[in-house]
Amino acid sequence: MNELKKPKKKVAFPRYANYNAPIRYLLENGLGVRCILPPRLTHRTLEIGAKYSPDFVCTPFKILLGNMIEALEEGADTLVMVYGICKLGYYGELQEQILRDLGYDFDFVNLSEYDTGKVKDLFKATKYVNPQVKFRKVLKTLLEAVKMTDYIDEVTSEYYQNCGFETKKGAYKKAYQTFISNMYSANSKDEIERAYKKVRQAFSQIPISKPSQPLRVGVVGEFYTAMDQFSNFDVELKLAEMGVEIHRWMNVSNMFLHYPGEKNLNVRVKEFTTYQMGPTSTANIRSAKEYAERGFDGVIHVKSANCTPEIDVMPVLQNISADYKMPILYLTYDAQTSDVGLMTRLEAFYDMIYMRKKVVK
Amino acid sequence: MKHAYMGIDVGSISTKGVIIDNDNNILSSSYIWTEGAPIDAVKKLVGILEEQFDKEQYKIVGTGTTGSARKLVGTVLGATMVKNEITAHAVGTTAFYPDVRTILEIGGQDSKIILVENGVAVDYAMNTLCAAGTGAFLSSQAKRLGIEIEDIGDIALKSKHPASIAARCTVFAESDLVHKIQMGYLKEDIIAGVCNAVASNYLNNVGKGKRIVSPVVFQGGVSKNRGVVAAFERALGCEVMVDPNGHLMGAIGAAILAKNSSVRRDFDFSIENIEFRIREASCGKCSNNCEIICVYRGDELIDSWGNRCERGSINPGA
Repeated sequence: MNELKKPKKKVAFPRYANYNAPIRYLLENGLGVRCILPPRLTHRTLEIGAKYSPDFVCTPFKILLGNMIEALEEGADTLVMVYGICKLGYYGELQEQILRDLGYDFDFVNLSEYDTGKVKDLFKATKYVNPQVKFRKVLKTLLEAVKMTDYIDEVTSEYYQNCGFETKKGAYKKAYQTFISNMYSANSKDEIERAYKKVRQAFSQIPISKPSQPLRVGVVGEFYTAMDQFSNFDVELKLAEMGVEIHRWMNVSNMFLHYPGEKNLNVRVKEFTTYQMGPTSTANIRSAKEYAERGFDGVIHVKSANCTPEIDVMPVLQNISADYKMPILYLTYDAQTSDVGLMTRLEAFYDMIYMRKKVVK
Repeated sequence: MKHAYMGIDVGSISTKGVIIDNDNNILSSSYIWTEGAPIDAVKKLVGILEEQFDKEQYKIVGTGTTGSARKLVGTVLGATMVKNEITAHAVGTTAFYPDVRTILEIGGQDSKIILVENGVAVDYAMNTLCAAGTGAFLSSQAKRLGIEIEDIGDIALKSKHPASIAARCTVFAESDLVHKIQMGYLKEDIIAGVCNAVASNYLNNVGKGKRIVSPVVFQGGVSKNRGVVAAFERALGCEVMVDPNGHLMGAIGAAILAKNSSVRRDFDFSIENIEFRIREASCGKCSNNCEIICVYRGDELIDSWGNRCERGSINPGA
């Protein structure tokens, strides 16, 4: 009887690009808990995150930790942390320890502890968050959340490919932001589908003027910084607005839903690399090679400082750049607060690929 | 009246300016220290350029700005072209050296490499996160050794046994240098070691993974240092060209870009007498607390920037 009276857990997952929308959907509609949406990432997030983090850890660790603290301030009592096959696998444990040392009281769901290689063991974590949970319902909502993720990635991809060519400034951004906020408020499969159809229709009605051979740039890089607009100062939008088509294969649905498999990818880049070097390296090398083969004007490699797997990728990218004569801009992000240096490099990169294309033609 | 174009390059350490004619001939030029006050430096610079300039024959119809203060100075001068320093350097250099394949550039706080093919930049890199091996390092070490920065090159060339100085990081290089001083190394050997350290740091960081092909042109303030030029020639095994106007190349590039653009606006030298003020405002509408820079001409707000979103935008005239 007492169990039933227990108030719902208030669960939070730190901000990560736009993926907090499907996470919220799964938590509230599948697991039946309250989802606390942490505040948007700001300088404050980074400041408090950096203050309590080891100095030489990668920037996403600092941002996630800062945002966890902000979530606790907002009233969350349970934090969820994911894992991965780089240092990320250890991050949850370290973050929990730091937060406990700071004196916060909370439940911590470190998915790394549930990782046994069997998917069904991950479901045990849902039992921990809500003992009354129905597996059937979790599974159904999970599939809907996955669909939502797929839609978000598809729409985001189209947004960055076209927004630089709109004739009415801001039209794409407005439609995109409406779609994203609809994803955050959706509570049923219907609502997701409706919002998706709406944004598709809105996008198709925005007039664009795109040359037949537009400048095309591919973005590759580290799993957090390459996708998170706050972390990378929205590098994709900045470059797109100069009049460039931006392509980025790397996103959550391509890595987990449509992933062609490590072996499969490795075969396609075997002249450049023999072994897997980290969570995203083979995929990034494959993407860069594909962009080069498709005649892209350039590639931008985005990573946070101290990201070891992506540092390992750089020499391979240099070989691709030399073989295909395609310039690659390497951007490293740390806890800097100004985008002035980034703009200088981006403008120069744009001028270069623009002048180059004019000469080649 | 013949047309002329002005280019201004405001860097962290020095401010450079040129006025060129339609055939890229330099009509007047100047190089002064920024001393942490870009607007004052530019006013002074414009005054010097005006003295050398023949107003009877020419008028300035286009103004380009570049360098880290390009936006601020562009607003103050009413520039017709505001361009990043990488493009400006590439455009300036290829105008004078159409065959150039590699441009090395080391300035006060930054360093870059530009690879050129058929007169067009095809790849570039710029130092990130760290200013090791730039002019600022050289001048602080010169001060430590009690030598004028202008003399470093000649002293370095006297050395027969350059000391080996750790080049990886400015802080380590400095402690290595202090150690060598206390060990009793000759001053010229230490200076030569510092020059080698600058060159090898550059090649290992900015130049990493880039194929450096001759002809090589070296510019930026540090190119005036013959010791570093010699170190580059040794390391690369080819001739490294330094243009007598190499330190002005960014400004020349900015002037050429202003010339090539279609925007025209006559430049008025009277800005020397106008007061410009900068005010910083903190937005405070979210916890980003963007610092917004407002530029005033007299009491009139002429431009503002620094906001990350629309909420922090301040419209001139509002």
